[in-house]
Amino acid sequence: MPTIDIKKKDLEKLVGKKLTISRLEDSLTLAKAELKEYNTGTDELKVELSDSNRPDLWSVEGIARQIRGHLAGKPASYPFFATKKKPVRKIKVSRDMKEVRPYIAACAALGLRMNEESLVQMIQSQDKLSDIFGRKRRMVSIGIYELDRIVFPVDYRLAEPEEVSFTPLGMDERMNLKEILERHPKGITYGPVVGAFKKYPVLIDSHRQVLSFPPIINSRETGEVKTGTKNILVEVTGTDLRMVLLAINILSVNLYDRGAGIEHVLISYPYSTDLGNKIITPHSMLEPVKISIKEITKTLGEDMPPREIRKHLESYGHKVSIRKDSLFVHYPPYRDDIMHPVDTIEDVAISKGYGSFKPEMPQRSTLGGLSRIELFSDLIRDFMVGSGFQEIVSNVLGSSEELIEWMGVDEKLIEIENIMSRSYSVVRNRILPFLLKVEASSSKAFYPHRIFEIGEVGVYDPSENLGSKTGLNLGSLISHSEVSFSEIHSYLDLLFYYTGFSYRLEPAEHPIFMSGRCGNIIVEGRPLGLIGEISPVILDRWQISMPCSAFEINLDSLIL
Amino acid sequence: MILESLHPLEIKLLQSFRDKEVLASKEIIDKGLMDGSRLDMASNWLIKKGLIEISGEDITSSVSLTETGKDYYENNIPELRILSALHEGKSLTVKDISQTFHLDPLEVSSALGLLKESGVTQIVQGGLIEFKSGGDANRFESLQDIIRFIGEKGIADLNLLSNEQREIIEVHCRKRGKSKGIFRISEKKNRIFSLTESGKTILSALPERGETGKEVSQLTPEMLKEGTWRNITFRKYNISLNPPRISIGKKHPYREFLDFVKYKFVAMGFEEVRGPLIENEFWNMDVLYMPQFHPARDIHDVYLIKEPSHCKEIEKPFGNRVAETHTNGGNTGSKGWRYPFDLKRAKRLILRSQGTTISARTLASKPKIPGKYFSIARCFRYDTVDATHAPDFYQIEGIVLGEEINFKTLLGLLRLLGEEIAMVKEFRFLPAYFPFTEPSVELHGKHPKLGWIELGGAGIFRPEVTIPLGVKEPVIAWGLGLDRMAMVALGINDIRDLFSKDLDFIRTKKTGFKG
Repeated sequence: MPTIDIKKKDLEKLVGKKLTISRLEDSLTLAKAELKEYNTGTDELKVELSDSNRPDLWSVEGIARQIRGHLAGKPASYPFFATKKKPVRKIKVSRDMKEVRPYIAACAALGLRMNEESLVQMIQSQDKLSDIFGRKRRMVSIGIYELDRIVFPVDYRLAEPEEVSFTPLGMDERMNLKEILERHPKGITYGPVVGAFKKYPVLIDSHRQVLSFPPIINSRETGEVKTGTKNILVEVTGTDLRMVLLAINILSVNLYDRGAGIEHVLISYPYSTDLGNKIITPHSMLEPVKISIKEITKTLGEDMPPREIRKHLESYGHKVSIRKDSLFVHYPPYRDDIMHPVDTIEDVAISKGYGSFKPEMPQRSTLGGLSRIELFSDLIRDFMVGSGFQEIVSNVLGSSEELIEWMGVDEKLIEIENIMSRSYSVVRNRILPFLLKVEASSSKAFYPHRIFEIGEVGVYDPSENLGSKTGLNLGSLISHSEVSFSEIHSYLDLLFYYTGFSYRLEPAEHPIFMSGRCGNIIVEGRPLGLIGEISPVILDRWQISMPCSAFEINLDSLIL
Repeated sequence: MILESLHPLEIKLLQSFRDKEVLASKEIIDKGLMDGSRLDMASNWLIKKGLIEISGEDITSSVSLTETGKDYYENNIPELRILSALHEGKSLTVKDISQTFHLDPLEVSSALGLLKESGVTQIVQGGLIEFKSGGDANRFESLQDIIRFIGEKGIADLNLLSNEQREIIEVHCRKRGKSKGIFRISEKKNRIFSLTESGKTILSALPERGETGKEVSQLTPEMLKEGTWRNITFRKYNISLNPPRISIGKKHPYREFLDFVKYKFVAMGFEEVRGPLIENEFWNMDVLYMPQFHPARDIHDVYLIKEPSHCKEIEKPFGNRVAETHTNGGNTGSKGWRYPFDLKRAKRLILRSQGTTISARTLASKPKIPGKYFSIARCFRYDTVDATHAPDFYQIEGIVLGEEINFKTLLGLLRLLGEEIAMVKEFRFLPAYFPFTEPSVELHGKHPKLGWIELGGAGIFRPEVTIPLGVKEPVIAWGLGLDRMAMVALGINDIRDLFSKDLDFIRTKKTGFKG
């Protein structure tokens, strides 16, 4: 979720209206945005955007556009998308780009009055788009240039690592592409995006001037935009045509909102794309969506006349026509998140205001209940508590040290591949280690200790589709200076008596327990757990200096 | 009040002040009224209650014999035993001594050392011990005299002995760590107690109450059997004292909170459902219409399982239907995400990252319509563990399906959850984004302590989620974030304390829910 910094005055200028902070907070909900901070001294607002599918909102221009539309009750108009004027500027894509970074889109923005704030905002939206929407420039990256220094047509082609050189932004010396990847900070950060290829993408104009090395860095000569710059070229390259086109559309409407005139650029491909091999960008690729009025009113649970629905949609940026019992919605070219009529229906609800809907209760009743295993587990919990045991709640994740080495066992655990911390790198396969963990940190709590936990465990099982089984286990432990096998056995015996299971103990040897003081718990012929006095070898590893007796049984196989 | 709660020992001690308002502890013990340890207890209690006070204190040091001293009293000190044997003309070697006199080698070497030092004996060739002229054996006689004196009395006041004798005693006194002392000095405090004004009042009230100090504390089975209880006066207890600590069985306070939530949901007609901790990406994300390139599916957001890394198969027919929905919308009326769906990726095993996964599995298992389902699910997120992030945590989430479901019933249901589960009365509904719901809404409530907080998120499942799973009716999906509320209810600031390993902490944590 992107967070952006904007100036309140700048936002108000773009909205065309002054806003109090509480009014602003309300308006921000239109953009699913939340005000995180407001610094009255610097006039700075920190705004968090929650809709990862609406990159058009990740800029002050985008937020302002959504608010402005709502105030005006009609969508903003971007006539340049519909222009019939033939583009005067052209970018030629070379054949070898197809395998590396096949798509490019561009536009020229003329007559800007670039001041410090609009420059900062332009760079911020460029960063957010290429970083989050563009997946750290892998799928989309953006370059901005001083238009008047470029001689068209521009070539988008591959170059050998040492074939061309230029002075990249942030450097004083000329570097070739190989050197940029090795030494330039941006080359080091974003190098992996193209590093696997033998040749790298470049933009070169007809005077053989290198404009940039997409997606890494621009040239200082052509690619440095300053305050006061009037005319710029914006270019987007990437691996997905729809994403590239959406990005240039968003950037062009942002610039238009700042007062620039937008002119198209012709992109000519030697290979075919979904839109043919000549694409004029920015490109409005959208067709109207037909939505039945009944679907809208049914989903919202609110009867609304079609004209009211149209009004809400228009305030939210859509162009709408009503035909019989359906709406034809032309959604704006800076949005590509509308996949299904429900997306448009949400726009109606947001535009009308969530607070204006009266909450209603579903009338038909349903039967509530707990699952069998939960009911059974509650029964056992009550039994254990009634027997004087304190319930414990542990984490499900632990370390293999705790679950394997300190328990003296050799078992396969469910391990995490991308571990964050060693302490939480495996899923527990039994509860006992976590009860010992409690003992190891509770020697100061007065004795006797009687503790238990009923909780989920993950047991490796290659015969299962998911490679493991999630089980529900009961682990129980007693610790005091005279604890014995028979004491813990008494509780287990009563537990089985009370729940009506017949069981027997089969003498067993197990590393967790003392030799000759351990048993397999057999219920209806199946081994369901272990009971015994914890071996001093194990207690010593956990640095527990009080004897412990314990049992652990699997509850779900007991009742399933 | 004080009168009624007096212990028999206290009454007994008070009674002894009847003749004299000032008493020394020595006097009380000597008269056989009470032994030293009982006197200490009773006098301390009475002092605390302000009935007597200490008006003076002196310390008496007395000396008695240790076991070794008693042996020397009976058989004389080793030095004298050696000397008298020599007097009898016996020929002694160093080796002989220890056997003849049953002395341990340390005592022998110390005795021979002292004899030599006093010039009384000397050791000649062959270890033979001989008299030496000019020595002075008086010091040994004086020591034996003191031993005899104390041995006869049993215990002697140190102050009654001469300075010279005291010095000798101190040299041979048992000291810490050295077992072989002859004398033991013990210090006894002799306290002078005097009755206070309130002591006098209580004392004069004692006979009227019939308190004799003979009241019995414990009612016994014998008394009941034999009927003797009829003639016995039972002591009245001071019930304002703190009781001793005991260890009891009880539920974990966090589980108590979750139980409360569970019972509320059952009462509202929700059925509880469960699912596996170890999931595949298919049920955790693909089914929920999160595209495979979605940022939340990044390696830095989800825990991947090392082995096996992939499940064997995706349940039919869901695998193909979901793949098609992502690619082109399938039969859901959607354009789809329009990218090539990777079935291998869908099989990738992970730790369940969201409870909605269970809802997806519920939808795929022919749910009741209308129906309501909930689960309290352990979930895992790739986060640094700190005061606000536990390595695994509970998510409370569920679904509501039926023909009646629409945006207004979604809001109504959320309000109900807020009122019943979060016990909040003021609400706000805000637009939100979740990949699997449209419209989506965030529920904010005004918490009495925390102010406006986000209580949860919800929405109507996208048709891209429900239709491939065979559900045609609209479905509400909701999830509540109650950890913060649980923490407030339990007075905890660090989420890790919900999973504390400290038994003392768990035992003493008060329940956060009184219903």
